[in-house]
Amino acid sequence: MKKVGEVVLLWLLILFIQNAAGEGYSPPGKPTNISCRSPEKETFTCWWKPGSDGGLPTTYALYYRKEGSQRVFECPDYKTAGKNSCFFSKNVTFVWVNYNITVVATNSRGRAFSDPVDIDVVYIVKPNPPEEVVVNVTEDKDWPFLQVSWKPPKMADTRSGWITLFYEVRLKLENKNKWEEVSAGQRKTLQIYSLRSGGTYEVQVRCKPDHGFWSEWSPSSRVKVPEYFPQERSMWILIVVFAAFILVIFIWMVYMNFHSVKRYLLPPVPGPKIKGIDKQLLKSGKSEDIFSSLVVSDFPPTTSNYEDFLVQYLEVYVPEERELIMDEGKDLQDDSFKTENSTCDNDSGRGSCDSHTLLTDKGGGDKEDGQQSDQEGSQAEADTKSQEEALEEELLACSHENLQSSNISNEKEKVKSWPSLFSPLPQYSLSPVNRPNPPKTGQQHCLSDSLFTPNSMPSYFTQPGPSTRKGFRSNYWECSFDHKQSHPLHPQSAAHEHLQAQNDLNTAHVDYMGAPLDVHVLNVRPSEYVEVQRVSVEDGVLLHPISPSQEDSRTLSHQTEDYSRVRMVNNDNGLLLLQRDAIEEEKSMCPYQEDVVSRASITPTLQNSVTGINTALPILDEMAASGYIDTATMFGLPTH
Amino acid sequence: MLEKKSLPCLLRPAPVVYLVAMCRAVPVNDLLDRASQRSDKMHSLSTLLTQEMDSHFPPYGRMQMPRPADCHTSALQTPNDKEQALQVSESDLMSLARSLLQAWVDPLAVLSTSAITLPHPSKSSISSKIQELQEHSKSLGDGLDILSGKMGPSAQAISFLPYTGGTDLGQDRVTILNKFNFLLSCLRRDSHKIDSFLKVLRCRAAKLQPELC
Repeated sequence: MKKVGEVVLLWLLILFIQNAAGEGYSPPGKPTNISCRSPEKETFTCWWKPGSDGGLPTTYALYYRKEGSQRVFECPDYKTAGKNSCFFSKNVTFVWVNYNITVVATNSRGRAFSDPVDIDVVYIVKPNPPEEVVVNVTEDKDWPFLQVSWKPPKMADTRSGWITLFYEVRLKLENKNKWEEVSAGQRKTLQIYSLRSGGTYEVQVRCKPDHGFWSEWSPSSRVKVPEYFPQERSMWILIVVFAAFILVIFIWMVYMNFHSVKRYLLPPVPGPKIKGIDKQLLKSGKSEDIFSSLVVSDFPPTTSNYEDFLVQYLEVYVPEERELIMDEGKDLQDDSFKTENSTCDNDSGRGSCDSHTLLTDKGGGDKEDGQQSDQEGSQAEADTKSQEEALEEELLACSHENLQSSNISNEKEKVKSWPSLFSPLPQYSLSPVNRPNPPKTGQQHCLSDSLFTPNSMPSYFTQPGPSTRKGFRSNYWECSFDHKQSHPLHPQSAAHEHLQAQNDLNTAHVDYMGAPLDVHVLNVRPSEYVEVQRVSVEDGVLLHPISPSQEDSRTLSHQTEDYSRVRMVNNDNGLLLLQRDAIEEEKSMCPYQEDVVSRASITPTLQNSVTGINTALPILDEMAASGYIDTATMFGLPTH
Repeated sequence: MLEKKSLPCLLRPAPVVYLVAMCRAVPVNDLLDRASQRSDKMHSLSTLLTQEMDSHFPPYGRMQMPRPADCHTSALQTPNDKEQALQVSESDLMSLARSLLQAWVDPLAVLSTSAITLPHPSKSSISSKIQELQEHSKSLGDGLDILSGKMGPSAQAISFLPYTGGTDLGQDRVTILNKFNFLLSCLRRDSHKIDSFLKVLRCRAAKLQPELC
C-alpha cells in the first residue's frame, strides 16, 4: 500500500510539474529589427521588435556600448519614444561614434538577447517634416500661381550649418491620385504655375539631409485656385456662332450662284447635235430615217407661212442699217447681233431690203459672233469674213435684183419682226441647235444676198466706204424699205428705177471689201424669203415675205410649202426666183460665178427668172445641206 | 570669424596691365561653397563604396572587422556633438578638415592599388570609385589650401596622421576584404567629418546668402 501511495504521489508530483511547465511559460523571444533614427543629429531613438513573451511578463532592456570602451550603458529613456523604444538624449548622443546596441528581453523564464547593431548617429539622420507649410494663390487674377513656403523642422539646426536640408514639394488636384513632385533644393519657397482654373490643390513638403533619409510628408495644405479662365466656355460659344454665321453666308452664296458654280465645276459638255439627225435613229441604224429629217420635204414651202421661213432664214440687210453699220464700223462688230438690230429703224426693216440679204446677214453675223446661240442670228454670224467673197459676189448679183425688190416690200415687215439683224438662219426656222459650218452659212448669205439684198451684201464685205456709198446704200435700203412698206410686192417702176440706180451705185461698191464686214454681217439679215403670192399683170410678182415668227417653231418637216428665193432683181424688172435647190446652187456658185449667176440668170421677164430658178435649184439643196443644216427649217421659196 | 582677404590672382595669367581690372577675388563664401560641394561628393562616393562592398561581403567577416576606433585618424581630436562643433573656431575647423584630408592621401593610394586585385565581384566599379575619390581629394586639398591662406596661420596647421597600414592589405581573401572594408569605413567617417566642418564654415561665412543656411 505504501508503495502504491508513493508511486501515486510521485506520479502526481510529476504531473504537477509537467503542468506547471506546460502552461506556456518560456523565456522571451529574441527582440529583432532594431532600428534607430536621429532627427537632427543631436538625439536619436531606437526601436525594436519584441519576440514572443513566453507567456510571462517580459521586460526589455537596451544596452549599448560605445566604440573604444567596454562600458555598457543602458537606455536612459524607454518612454519618450513610445513602447519598445529607447530615446537617446543629447547628453548621451555622440556623433562620429559607433554605438553597439543590444536589446535584452527578460521574463521570469529567462532572457533573450537580440543581435547587436552598430550605428553611427550621423548616418541615421531622418528629419521631421517641414513645418509651417503655407500655400498662397497669388493676387494676379489673370494667371494665378501657387506660392508655397515652409520652414525647416524645429529641431534641425540649419542655421549653423550643422544640418543641411534639401526640400521637395508635391501637389495634386484634390480629386486625382497622381502627385506631381517638384524639387526645391535648399530653398524654402517655391512657385507653381500652370494651374487648373477653379481646381483645388493639395500641397505637401518633405526634406532630407545631405546624407540621410527623407522625412515624412508634411500634412496636406489645401488651396483653391480661382476661376481665372471664365471665358473659356463663352469663347467657344462665340467661336461656334461665328463659324455658323460664316457657314450660312457661304451656303447662301453658293445657292445664289449655284448655276454658275456648277457650270464652273462641271462645265457642260456640248453634245454633238446635227439638226435633223435624230440620235435615236442613228442608234437604230436606219439611214433612211436618219436623213429623212434632213430632207426638207416641203421645200419650197407651200404653206402660207412664208414669214416663218423667212424669219428663220438669213436676214435681209437694210442699206440704212448697213450704213449705220459701216459708220459704226468695227464698233458694231463687237456688238451683239441684237444691237445691230436695234439700229434698224422701223422703216428699214430687214425685209425692206427685199430680203436679199438674209444670207448675207447670216454670214456676217456668224463672223461677228459665232457663238450667238439665239435662234435667229447664230448661223448668219458664222464666218462672215469667209463669206466676204461670196457676199461680194452676191452683191454684184443682187444689186440688180434688189432694185426690183419692191416686191419684197413685205419683207420689210418681216424684217421688222426680226428681232435682230443677224437672225439669219434661226429665222430660217432652223433649230437652234448647231450652227455648224460658217462657210456654208456664208454661202447662204451669198445666195440670199444675191436674191434679196444685193445691197446688203456689199455692206457686208465692204468696208465703210465713202460716205457717198453709205448714203447710197442707205438710200437704197430706204428705198427698198419703202417699197416694202407701201407696196406689197407690187412692182413699182419708180421704185425699181430707184433701185436700179441704187444698184448701179451699189455695184460700184461691190468691190469694196471691208472690215466692217462683220458688222455688216451682223446687220445682214438672213435671206429673206418671199412668197410669191401672185404674179401681177405688169410683170410683177407679189412677193409675200414670210414672217420669221412663224418659222421659229417650224421644223423642216413641217414646211410643206415650196419656197423660192428671189435670187435677184433684174434690171428689167425681172425677178429671179430660185427654188430651194437653185438657191443652194447659187450659193455655191456665188463666190465664183457671180456673173454667171447674177447676170446670166437674170431674165427680163419673170418667166425667165423662173427658169433661172430651175437652173439654180441645186444650189438650194446645197445650201440646205451645208452649214447651218437644220432640217427642220430648210425652206425655199415657192416656185411659181 | 573668417578674415576676408583679397585673393591673389593665381588663376589668371593675364598681363600686368589687366591684372587689376580682370582679376577679381572669388569671395570666401563662394570658395567654401565649392569646397563643401566637393567634400559632399567625396562622402557620397565613400558611402557607395561601403554599400557595394557589403553587398557581397561575407557576413561573418563583419564580425571580425576591427573597430573604427582603430582608424589611423582616430588620434585627431574632433568634436563629438553639435555644441562642441559649433564652438570650434573657423581656423580650427579648417585645420581639422585639411588634416583629415591630408591623412587620406596615402591610404587612398593603397586602396586604389588593392582594388585592382580585390577578390570581389565589383572590383572594377570599386576601383573606379576609388580613383574618383582620389581626384576629388586632390582638388579639395588644393582648394582648402587656398582657403586656409585666407583664414590665418592657425588654419594652415595640419596635424600629421600617418598611415601605418602598409601597402599590403593581407594575404588571404578574408583578410584582404576585412582590411579593405575597415579602411573604407574609416574613410566614410572622415569624409563625413570633413564635409560637416566645411558646411559649418560655409554657413558661418554666408552672410550674403543666408537662405542657404
